[in-house]
Amino acid sequence: MKTKCISRADLAALVADLAAAGTEVVAPVKSRDGRALDYRRIGRLEEAALGEVALPRRSLKELFLPASEVLLRYRLEKDDVAIEEVPATFPPLVILGAKPCDAAGVEVLDKVMGWDYRDEPWFARRAATTIVSLACPGVDGVCFCSAVGLSPDATKGADVLLVPAEGGFVAEAITPRGEALLASKRFAEGEMPVEAQAARAAAKEKVARNLPAQPTGFHDWLGERFDHAAFKDIAQRCHGCGACASVCPTCHCFDIVDEPEGLDRGARRRNWDSCATCKFTLHASGHNPRATQNERFRQRVMHKFSIYPRRFGEVLCSGCGRCVRACPAGMDLPEILGQLFRDAGGAR
Amino acid sequence: MNELRELARKLLGDGTVKVVIGYEEGPRGVRPAMITDPAQAERLVFDARCVHNLATYLNPRRPHLARLGKPAVVVKGCDARAVAGMIRESQVKREDVVIVGVRCGGVVRDPTMKAALAPETVSPRCGHCASREPKLFDHLLGALPPAPPRPAGDDPVARVEQMPLPERWAFWKEELSRCVRCHACREVCPMCFCAACVADKSRPQWIETSSTPRANLSWQLTRVMHMAGRCAGCGECTRACPSHIPLSLILAHVARHVERRFGYQVDDDPSIPAPIGAFKTDDSQEFIL
Repeated sequence: MKTKCISRADLAALVADLAAAGTEVVAPVKSRDGRALDYRRIGRLEEAALGEVALPRRSLKELFLPASEVLLRYRLEKDDVAIEEVPATFPPLVILGAKPCDAAGVEVLDKVMGWDYRDEPWFARRAATTIVSLACPGVDGVCFCSAVGLSPDATKGADVLLVPAEGGFVAEAITPRGEALLASKRFAEGEMPVEAQAARAAAKEKVARNLPAQPTGFHDWLGERFDHAAFKDIAQRCHGCGACASVCPTCHCFDIVDEPEGLDRGARRRNWDSCATCKFTLHASGHNPRATQNERFRQRVMHKFSIYPRRFGEVLCSGCGRCVRACPAGMDLPEILGQLFRDAGGAR
Repeated sequence: MNELRELARKLLGDGTVKVVIGYEEGPRGVRPAMITDPAQAERLVFDARCVHNLATYLNPRRPHLARLGKPAVVVKGCDARAVAGMIRESQVKREDVVIVGVRCGGVVRDPTMKAALAPETVSPRCGHCASREPKLFDHLLGALPPAPPRPAGDDPVARVEQMPLPERWAFWKEELSRCVRCHACREVCPMCFCAACVADKSRPQWIETSSTPRANLSWQLTRVMHMAGRCAGCGECTRACPSHIPLSLILAHVARHVERRFGYQVDDDPSIPAPIGAFKTDDSQEFIL
């Protein structure tokens, strides 16, 4: 793919152009205490923290599947209920400096969102959004994107990939939407410098050391091992708090609720939910088919590495490692995967 | 450390307990460990990275641990307050748990950090710690280490308390706007043991489950009020919050109110009743907490 380049000053001008044209721009921004990053709306490039290595606290998921979203509003009438549709139209959005694992997570979710039912708000937001990823140097020893078929410079889910270079960035268009963005006069002709290529290769090598790649056919192997010894006491330390799901770029389960907004009206909302929590499978009868945390955590692993890939051909994980960093109890998905990978490798 | 391992080996070996809930070296820092085999007692560690409040694993909402059998639990002075809280509120029977107290010199903010205590690394809750040695224990281990360094910077609780009301309101509005209502704060809390939490009730629904500003405020204020005079101050809710909401600040603020109005500090003596469960004729009547 043909590359272009852009200086930091021109990137700042591009952000200003976009804002002037009514396009919203989201980028990693430092939190108030300066200790963390969040994907947040910016008006000027200076607000963004593009040079930071760390991942934003939560993934890009919420820009397409908000933690709470109104699906429709209702009003009780004399003998009827009047439904007010909430329009699924969204202003154009450019996400600047997305982590490649976060961009990949969004594309993974397209599969389930367009499966037996086409999720209108999801795809309307997808259609309005251009994702500009920034090649990652590898965050820390937790990252395992390479184990799930990605890499710190993966282009999956991205429209444009930026690679840091002297004084700015090299830009590679991945999709026609990315090409449209690169048509801006702010981009100049340019090649990928040798140093930038070397940095990409070094990042790949660094992350690949964290966890070996998933063995071929792992999802089928795992699917037949519901009673694997590794699951027996897998979640003794797990609190079932679901922090892992909140920060995960691919966890997408939700609950739908009707909530009053007055005596005669209300809203139907969908809210994030998580299989890690006790209430997720609790029946009205009081019976819970996933009686303890061990079964709930097994479900998390199974859904990500067996159920989803068997149905959609790809794992429900982009290896970002947020679940490990966010876990207050030290649950460690790459550690568990490492065990299972070894076992699956040995089984053949 | 050897003292701890030997005790664990003995307790498991002679059948006093079926599981020792302690700390082990994980792939990235220290983490909770459930040791059931005396031969595995070697895994146990204790140092300044042992941030977690293990008392929370005694919470009756954890059937997967209860079925392992009688536990011994490793507690710091602060964690012992949570064990005492559960005993005080009839969630744990004193004779059903072996409490292994450890003398503590403070912990770092995060269990993946190095065990080196410095003003920049020490957990904010250790700054004014008056309970480095638990009073509630069956076994008390280690020599008392020196007091931890004072955390760098101002006291964050006082900083928020001193904000003028509109500023304080803006501060909390902004912080709570990030709440996604995952209830991780509740799930990790040793003192959140209600079998049916008010936030989960749907008939009637007291608190909406959506993460709207109103519902977030309802949830967090309800929880904080329910924690008044009960919160052990371990800060696990803050550590678990995926949105990094500084819940400890508001909990500490409420604890100061309780102390001022009721002369009560959460203690690890389960025989001292908490204000929420006791009536005294000379209770402050300025307002109903």
